[in-house]
Amino acid sequence: MGEPRRPVIEMNNIVKTFFGVKALDNMTLDLYEGEIHCLVGENGAGKSTLMKVLSGAYKPDSGTMIVDNKKYSRMTAALSRELGINIIYQENILVPWMNVVENIFVGQEMAKGGFSDFKSQFSIAKELCDSLGIELPLNTTIYKLSVAQQQFVKIIKALSTKPSVLIMDEPTSMFNTQDADLVLKMVKRIAKSGVSIIYISHFLKEVKQIADRITVIRDGKPIRTYDNTGKDVVLDKVVSDMVGREASMFYEKDVHTIGEKAFEVKGLKISPDAPEASFFVRKGEILGIAGMVGSGRTEIANAITGASRKYGGKIYYNGEKIVIRNPADSIKNKIAYITEDRQRLGLNLNASIVDNLTMVGLQTRIKKFFVTVRKFIPLVKDIIDGLSIRMRSPMQDVKSLSGGNQQKVVLGKWLFTDSEIFIFDEPTRGIDVNAKSEFYKIMTNLVKEGKSIIMISSDMPEMVSMSDRVIVIRQNRIEKILEKDEISENSIIRYALEVKTDEKAG
Amino acid sequence: MKKPGEQVLTKEKRSYSHIFRDQRMLLLMVIIAIFIVVSIINPNFIGINNLIAIFGQISVGGVLAMAMAMLLLTGVIDLSIGNIMALSGCTMATLIVGNTEGTMSGTAAAGEAAKSMLTSDTGITSIPVAILIGVLVAIACGALNGFIVAKSKCMPLIITLGMSFVYKGLALIITSGRVMAFKLAFEPLRLLRIGGLVPSTLLIFIAVVVASYVIINRTRYGRRLVAIGGNEQNARLSGINVDRYKISIYAIGGLYCAIALIIFASRLDAIKSTSGDNFNMWALVAPIIGGVTFDGGRGSIIGAFLGAFFMGIVQNAMGIMNVSPYIQVMVNGIIIVLAVVLSNLQNIRKQ
Repeated sequence: MGEPRRPVIEMNNIVKTFFGVKALDNMTLDLYEGEIHCLVGENGAGKSTLMKVLSGAYKPDSGTMIVDNKKYSRMTAALSRELGINIIYQENILVPWMNVVENIFVGQEMAKGGFSDFKSQFSIAKELCDSLGIELPLNTTIYKLSVAQQQFVKIIKALSTKPSVLIMDEPTSMFNTQDADLVLKMVKRIAKSGVSIIYISHFLKEVKQIADRITVIRDGKPIRTYDNTGKDVVLDKVVSDMVGREASMFYEKDVHTIGEKAFEVKGLKISPDAPEASFFVRKGEILGIAGMVGSGRTEIANAITGASRKYGGKIYYNGEKIVIRNPADSIKNKIAYITEDRQRLGLNLNASIVDNLTMVGLQTRIKKFFVTVRKFIPLVKDIIDGLSIRMRSPMQDVKSLSGGNQQKVVLGKWLFTDSEIFIFDEPTRGIDVNAKSEFYKIMTNLVKEGKSIIMISSDMPEMVSMSDRVIVIRQNRIEKILEKDEISENSIIRYALEVKTDEKAG
Repeated sequence: MKKPGEQVLTKEKRSYSHIFRDQRMLLLMVIIAIFIVVSIINPNFIGINNLIAIFGQISVGGVLAMAMAMLLLTGVIDLSIGNIMALSGCTMATLIVGNTEGTMSGTAAAGEAAKSMLTSDTGITSIPVAILIGVLVAIACGALNGFIVAKSKCMPLIITLGMSFVYKGLALIITSGRVMAFKLAFEPLRLLRIGGLVPSTLLIFIAVVVASYVIINRTRYGRRLVAIGGNEQNARLSGINVDRYKISIYAIGGLYCAIALIIFASRLDAIKSTSGDNFNMWALVAPIIGGVTFDGGRGSIIGAFLGAFFMGIVQNAMGIMNVSPYIQVMVNGIIIVLAVVLSNLQNIRKQ
């Protein structure tokens, strides 16, 4: 492009800390008028956090933002909107029972003399669709539309506010190739009309296709910005930037012996048309399940443990077939499932630590009819000490604990069972470094005792240093099973993002 | 430096400010305040006879409130418990006195009905069988509610509201809309006074409160109910068969309806299809005033009991002070709204 480029947004030295963990560490980003700037990075690299800072959802600890030559230390949702910044989230924000036009105008309805002005709304919506070259059934109720069409509605809704900056977070993640192409075309058109776009995606191929610039983020820091105006970036380099970490970030795991097959899944289907998944884990082994968020990792764990329905597949424990229809069955078969969403799925926040710790043990270990919660305290003392849960009293409500300690209670609940197979979903998300290494010690002890661990994680150093083998999942399919000596950040990311060797040439 | 985990398991720190944040303590203080004020106005209020009268007034609703409290703690609700009680009673009475003879229409005084019934002898079954069937009907109705709620995954509020009309309709059909008498079947219970003073029905009420407390706090079963109320997803993933527990607690609620009915019958010896209508709300309000939350998992049986007791003394105090019944209705409403708003103050502040 020949014309001089003017930055519409400059974010400088943004720092944002959660529970002592730096999610953003001196992050810097600028955005030019009418460009498509793609952000790439692993899960948890800080992309979404950065966008939430820009849209006013988070207040940064320090740093500045310059928008239209004015300096701000923080945004609010209202201010960011006023400045013409509009964000399209992954989550569905549409009202399913309203039609397309009504949805587009929720919150900015047009009226004539106090009555809704459907005519003007319709014609404006029609204009927007035409300008983007897409066709939408404007008078149809949202829930009748396909996922792709709903995504278009979200984009048009965002455009109806006439933004100068549009942030798109994984807009194509749930699409097939054809629909994804439509979205990409649309994004290009929007940029051509002068809107600047920040585009977040795990799909490096599409990033290469549309980006003017690509910034790689890792551990909350900007690693490098590539110019891609000629659509000729070398994806292999981008991948190495995403994963290059210092050795100090990896955990040293003790070596121990691995035994026989303990647990095996054959032909598991997580939805009627999902590909079949088969894998096993041995005694004393940590099997990592890697993949991008939304690739189907958690769904596999849910299906194994009976938390959600499975559409086929057999499960074997020590060579014997077992039937798991619900979580109770899975617990009976000595499977522990430490869920990812601790507040929603893993804890009873209004109950005490002891109540929570004994919640599963109450089914399997304590088989008395009459119980006194206080008398459980000695029973769980070892677990509380072993996890060093920091608290005032074991009868304290879990709600008042810090995130890391809540996470420990979730784990403790499952340690207070006779489980042999432990499935961890994001075991250390959102907890600080010290708590993390405590978790790793506990996991190592478990496998030393001959128990098996299946670990789902987005944390690459954790995945690489803890796993004995790694399954890489992409779009519900087992893309690759990596043996111990094949495991590296690079190999995992490569399979998770489908950057095969033929891409190496660029 | 303390070792990690060292402060673990030390004795709970005593601070007294939290006591005043506990709705139960507040309620207790309000109750005491009412006692003092009303006793000054009318010294009879504090007498043992009046206390027994208060308990008498709240015993039917109180038992139902215990059922509601346990349901609320499980994260569900039953807006048909009053109607289950009435249906159970109508079934019982119909079996005792028969449907065609010996019943009186409309608003005839219950006592008179009972007397006229003493002579008729047209019952369908014997009294013990009738009582047994009545109790079973109540349990079955509760279990049915639980089954629909658990299996349909619909809002318990709406399901049980609908079922309340089903049960009321059934009671209307059985009794043809008439007042039914129990032929003094429960007269021995009414006359039985422990130590010549305390009515046996009061003891039944207290026994139900104690039983509920033990179930919720001291049994594995109860801990699981509270776990379900606190976080149903978590309970399911922890291996609790949520559906089964929901059905069972509704069934126990049904049993409580039968117990409430027995107290009701011993006090009035007559029942009609609409006798339970007012109890649905009463039984819901008592636990809520006592700090049991509407969305489950939080609150206590003691709180629910205090809530019921509070409602009882307010009603009694207004009676003693000759407050017009019309005003009483409004005062009850104001109390409910005030209690709920006050208990939600913390949440309001948070936002």
